[in-house]
Amino acid sequence: MLTTPRLIAIALCAALNFSIGSIVYLIKLPIYLDSIGTILCAVLLYPDRRAAFICAWISGALSLLLSGLLINPFVPWFELTDVAIALFSAFVIATGAETFRARPIRPVAFTTTILLFGISLGVIAALVSAPIVVYLFGGVTGSGSAFVVAFFLKTGQQLLSAAILSGLTAEPIDKTLQVLVAALLFRATPNDFIVMLRTSYDLAAGKDNT
Amino acid sequence: MPQAKITPNGAVAFALMLIGATMATGKHGLSIVAVLGIAFATLEVRAGTVTALKRSLVLVLPLAAFMLLVWVVIVGRAPADIAAGSVGSRDTALLYVALICTRLFLVVFLIQLIVACFANSTPLRFIGALRVPMTVKRLLMFTLSLVETFRHAIDRAYTALIACGLISRRRSVRNFVNGWVLVQTVWLTAITIVLGRLRDKWPIEDTLGLLDHALRPTARSLSCRDLVWLPIAVVATIAAVAAR
Repeated sequence: MLTTPRLIAIALCAALNFSIGSIVYLIKLPIYLDSIGTILCAVLLYPDRRAAFICAWISGALSLLLSGLLINPFVPWFELTDVAIALFSAFVIATGAETFRARPIRPVAFTTTILLFGISLGVIAALVSAPIVVYLFGGVTGSGSAFVVAFFLKTGQQLLSAAILSGLTAEPIDKTLQVLVAALLFRATPNDFIVMLRTSYDLAAGKDNT
Repeated sequence: MPQAKITPNGAVAFALMLIGATMATGKHGLSIVAVLGIAFATLEVRAGTVTALKRSLVLVLPLAAFMLLVWVVIVGRAPADIAAGSVGSRDTALLYVALICTRLFLVVFLIQLIVACFANSTPLRFIGALRVPMTVKRLLMFTLSLVETFRHAIDRAYTALIACGLISRRRSVRNFVNGWVLVQTVWLTAITIVLGRLRDKWPIEDTLGLLDHALRPTARSLSCRDLVWLPIAVVATIAAVAAR
């Protein structure tokens, strides 16, 4: 399953997660944009859903590890959110691969798919992340969304509900943007690369073994 | 810089155990982890400790300032106060931020100590010495290599888009409008470089065969130093969790 082109795709997507996620973290925006590569990896490997999930999950875990080591010590603890994102990306978002790549683009179908998948992913990510934020860090992490948690705490909310409300406020917008960027990058990816990923391309023999 | 005598396997296991203990314990347990961290720094890392300390401060100080702003200035109460429904005070919030930041500092410091411990080694040698499956080693090497590829891709795309007038070196509305073109160009540049390597360069040069050879571990998995530090780390972890 983990052929060399797929390992390369995992590494590329991890680097993408890390680079965009780090920029957003450093400027303290109340969004994350740190899972674009995870979503993209799943879409690139569709229709092999098992491979899509495993590769997307590894790319997410790798970027969390890199970010944790170099930029933000909070992020590696959100591994469970990464698993949820990889699962949803491989089994739901990736089904929109044809719509994302349709030429010419079908604006209504494209927009509807992005919004539907983005908002759903946002709700899932918010629900999975909230207990980690509350029980491990008392409600506030180093990201910009801490301001939103602080706002809800000031309005008299309890910790868990403030973290969930903050997640439900920021995550659907964040994840819709992430699905949009991943879909547009998927549209821009050369067909040769996608074919190489979706088949069991053997680099050493230089041929397709499917 | 002293020669690292602890092996990468021992160092990673040591750091992972103490990081686990740091996250699972309270303030008393943190002091146990801190003492062991200092002992490790003194005996194994020595001069590199200053660099590790500086890097840890650079990473954690902005976070501490941010958490102070959120918890002490804006919220003004600690999570325990909020959970108990009491009025709370900025002092308890400050104590809470201090605890969280100490915990994060210890995590970052332990990681930086391991980095400093192997500062004379290369990532290839460090990863090669690890007792993990070859696929994991390959993946780690590809990722490190592709981070560099991404840097080159960003440089190329940035220069090309400035040359064709789509973006500017200064802050401008054009950069905001065409920022997406830059992201897309970087991605395409990286993919094109990778495709070239996968199809032609690597098979001709037998890069993967050479890489596998270089990543094969030659030294022993654990050294005598590891066998001293690892039991101490186990005891410290149990003591720290028990002191919670």
